[in-house]
Parts: sequence; C-alpha cells; structure tokens
Amino acid sequence: MTKDAQETQETRETIHGVPEMLGRLAWRLIWGFARIFSIVALLAAWEILARSHTFTPFQLPALSAVLERIWSDAESGDLAINTALTLYRALAGFLISAVGGIAIGMAMSRNAAANWFFDPIVSVGFPMPKIAFLPVVILWLGVYDTAKVTIIVVDAIFPVIAATVIAIQGVERELIWSARNMGASNRQLLHQVILPAALPQIMTGLQVAMPLSLIVAVVAEMLMGGYGLGGAMMTASRFANSTSVFAGIVEIAVIGYVLIKAMTVIRRRLLIWHPEANAPATA
Amino acid sequence: MQEPAQIVVDHISHLYRPPRGREVLALDAVSLEVRQSEFIALLGPSGCGKSTLLYLIGGFLPVEKGEIRVDGKAVAGPGPDRGIVFQHFALFPWKTVRGNVLYGLERQGMPKPEREKRAMDFIELVGLHGFEDSYPSQLSGGMKQRAAIARTLAFDPKILLMDEPFGALDAQTRGLMQMELLRIWQSRPKTVIFVTHDVQEAVYLADRVAVMSARPGRIKTIVDTKFDKNDPDIFKNKFFVEKVDEIWNLVKDEAIKAQGTRSA
Repeated sequence: MTKDAQETQETRETIHGVPEMLGRLAWRLIWGFARIFSIVALLAAWEILARSHTFTPFQLPALSAVLERIWSDAESGDLAINTALTLYRALAGFLISAVGGIAIGMAMSRNAAANWFFDPIVSVGFPMPKIAFLPVVILWLGVYDTAKVTIIVVDAIFPVIAATVIAIQGVERELIWSARNMGASNRQLLHQVILPAALPQIMTGLQVAMPLSLIVAVVAEMLMGGYGLGGAMMTASRFANSTSVFAGIVEIAVIGYVLIKAMTVIRRRLLIWHPEANAPATA
Repeated sequence: MQEPAQIVVDHISHLYRPPRGREVLALDAVSLEVRQSEFIALLGPSGCGKSTLLYLIGGFLPVEKGEIRVDGKAVAGPGPDRGIVFQHFALFPWKTVRGNVLYGLERQGMPKPEREKRAMDFIELVGLHGFEDSYPSQLSGGMKQRAAIARTLAFDPKILLMDEPFGALDAQTRGLMQMELLRIWQSRPKTVIFVTHDVQEAVYLADRVAVMSARPGRIKTIVDTKFDKNDPDIFKNKFFVEKVDEIWNLVKDEAIKAQGTRSA
C-alpha cells in the first residue's frame, strides 16, 4: 500500500469511525451482559428470595446486606488482611507446587531411577484425597503458615507432575531429532526444545493446580483456624454471624475467578505462538 | 563410478520393535552407495523401511547390523553434516520463521550479525521474504516446508536427507515445491537422499532412483534417471515417460505385495 492510499483509508476510518465505534461498543455491552446473565439472575434471585421472608435473615441474609458487610470489612481493614493471608498461602503453595512439580516431572521423564521412585507415589497419590494428611501435618508442623502451605503443596503438586510427565512424553520425536541434527546438547535440548514444546500441557496442569491451591488454602484455614478468609468464615459461623459467612463465600468466589482469569491471561501471553492464541476466549 | 562414494550403506539390517506385538524386520541387508552432489531417490511402497534407512543414515536410529559410512567415517549419531527435512516439517512452533532458521546457526556459534544475515538470505532463497516474523501456525503447509528447508540449508549440511518432504502438501503446491527444490539444488549442489513413494517425483528430481521392495526392505533395482530436468515440456519428454513407466512397473508388484501383507 502506498502512503497516499494509507492516508485516504485512515481519513475514511475517522469519518465513518464514530457511529461504527458506538455500534460496536453497544454490541460488546449487550454481549458482555448476555454472557454474565446467569450470574446476574442468580444474584437477583438471592436478593428477592431473602427479602420475601421465605427465610429468616439468619438462614439467608440479603445480598445487599452481605455487600454492606464486605464494604465495612474493607473499611476496617479486616478484608485486606484476610484476603492477603489467604492469597499469600494459596500462591506460595501454588508456586512451590509449580516449580517442584515441573522439576519432578522432568526428572521422571529423563531419569529411570527418578521415574522408578516417583511413579508409584504419583499413581497412588494423585487420586487420593490428600486433605486426609491434614491431621498429620498439624501434628508435625502445627497450625501456622508452614503447615497450611505444606498441605496445599501436598495437594496441588500432583496435577503439575502428571501434566509435565505426559507433556514431555508427547513431544514429537521429529522436533527432538531436528534439534539434535542442528547440534543441540542434552541440556540445550531440554531447555530449548523439550520444555517449550511441553509448555501448553504443563500450563494446563498449572491451571488445574491454581484453583486447587485456593480450595485447599480455604479448607486448611477453616480446619486450622487463625486469620484468613476460611478462618474468618469459621469464626463468623461460630458466632452465628451468617452475614459474614456469606460475605466470605462472595469474597472467595471473586478471588477464585480473578486467579483463574489471571492464569488464562498468562497462558495466552506464554503461548502466543500456539494456534489457540488466535481462538476466541470464553468469559 | 570412478569417484569414491560419499555415503556407503553396507549390509544394513534393522529390526523394528513396536511397543506391542512382534518385532518386524524393516531392512534386510541393504547396501547402497551415493556419490557426492548426487540426487538419489529412495522409492518404495509404504512400510518398506525407506524412512528407516534415512533415519539410520541421519544417525537418529542406532545402527545394529551392518555399517554406514559418510566420508569414510562410521555414522554414530546425528550431526550437522547431514541435514534432515521431515514430511511434517518439525519446525519449532514457538519460534518464528527467522527463529527457526537461526537455531542451527546459533548452535554452531556463528556470530550474531553474520547469522542474522545468513538466516535472511535463506528465507529469501525459499521465497519466504516478508514472513520471517510469522509463527509456523500462521503459515500454509507449503510455506512451512519452505521454512523447514531454509532452516536445514542454512546450517550448510553436505548431505540433505529428505523424508517425503512434499507428501503432506496438495498437488499444486507439491509441483511448485519440486521445481523450487530442483532450482535450489542446481544453484547449490549437495548430496540429496530423497524418500518418496511418488514415481513421477522421483524421476523428475533424482539422478538415480533406488526402488525398494516391500517388507523386509531391500533395494530391488537402481534406475538411472539422469537427464535434462530443465526441459519445460519434461512431463511429455519420451525419456521421462519411459522411465516413469519402467519404475512404476517395478514398484507396482511391491505395492500390491505391501497391501497383501498389511491386510494379512
């Protein structure tokens, strides 16, 4: 395209641009609303049901009351402390699971001894409900952060290991041969070819580990007590403070959604080369 | 045949061991000599072990019985003296065209300005100018194979091993790519071993066509197909038509045999 032609096109775009842009914006808003309709309907039903006196406010506090409670918690600083603690535990557990899981998965794929040692542990450990170790973790490590992060890692590391092993097994033989052909050493092969080729599936494992970390963080807080969203909910429950219990549920739902969205964004960034990067995203 | 052969395949036998089931004799005492700058096609029905032979020469599979020598030295593993091009391209999908072509040059420790220039030269040679920053997932099959050929040519192997490189392309693209390959080969002669099951492709491209038998793979005959490939009417050329016919008759029986063993 010549410079002139480019300019003409640009002018044309500015002339026709304004109504077109508004139209597109309107569509996006309508679509955006349509996509979250079910959530909005659920929240509206909650509010209407709570106000209809079918339940007592103790059984089901109104959404508006819950939002007010969240707001006052935010103002008092409790919300920030509890959210920060839960997020810190969940993310610390997630990061340790990510690094450890990828390392163990790589070792299992590359080394027969590591595979011999870890494979039975993964086979038995993956399907088992690891939260059963919680009493043991309490006995050994107490009820503070170390214990909470440990039980998160015990849970979240398995999907990362499994995804890494399967991902590395699935790397095409031809890719490895090509790299060897061009003179890649074993180390270079691992870092420059096998890991990037395995990344899409490893990311899938991490996307499973992330919500798992949050779930276990909240459960551990509920069972071990102390600050944090889970702990605050249990305390509220003991004091029959149902508005605060429901506030906790809303907060955890929002955090979970944000974390999963963040993982999706990271995935798209890292896998910009992947055909899926051009595919439309879901809500 | 007075010049010594560059590649000597000496009584190579190879057992294929599938993860489940019985092992199969893929190659049975195959011998072959390829001279420098010669373009030889390995032709045979699917499953005759022609790709296996190529992978053995490339050093990707271990030689178990017999010996393969390149320039007098026994092949013990892959090396940049023997560049390979695969049917399904095997480009690194996380690297752009440029990144893919650069990879081999980086491994050879070529200084940056030099390798950047060399990469662009080869991208241009295969006609991918303007697509150097595209990822493989954004390219058509023919363009992917051009990129893969550029990547392999760029690190300047003495020998080019091509494993049905145009087998995954549509007929028109395949025809164009054959012409391109011939043009590139004529401008920078290299020893080429070209695996295919397409008789016309083999006669059009190669100086000699080694016809392989159905499993276990053996070299049945070698047919001389050296003539002027720049003839614009080559496909109507009497010599071309006769050679295609001759080789097709040799391959036909093997193809039927291969079908039989498969369904058995």
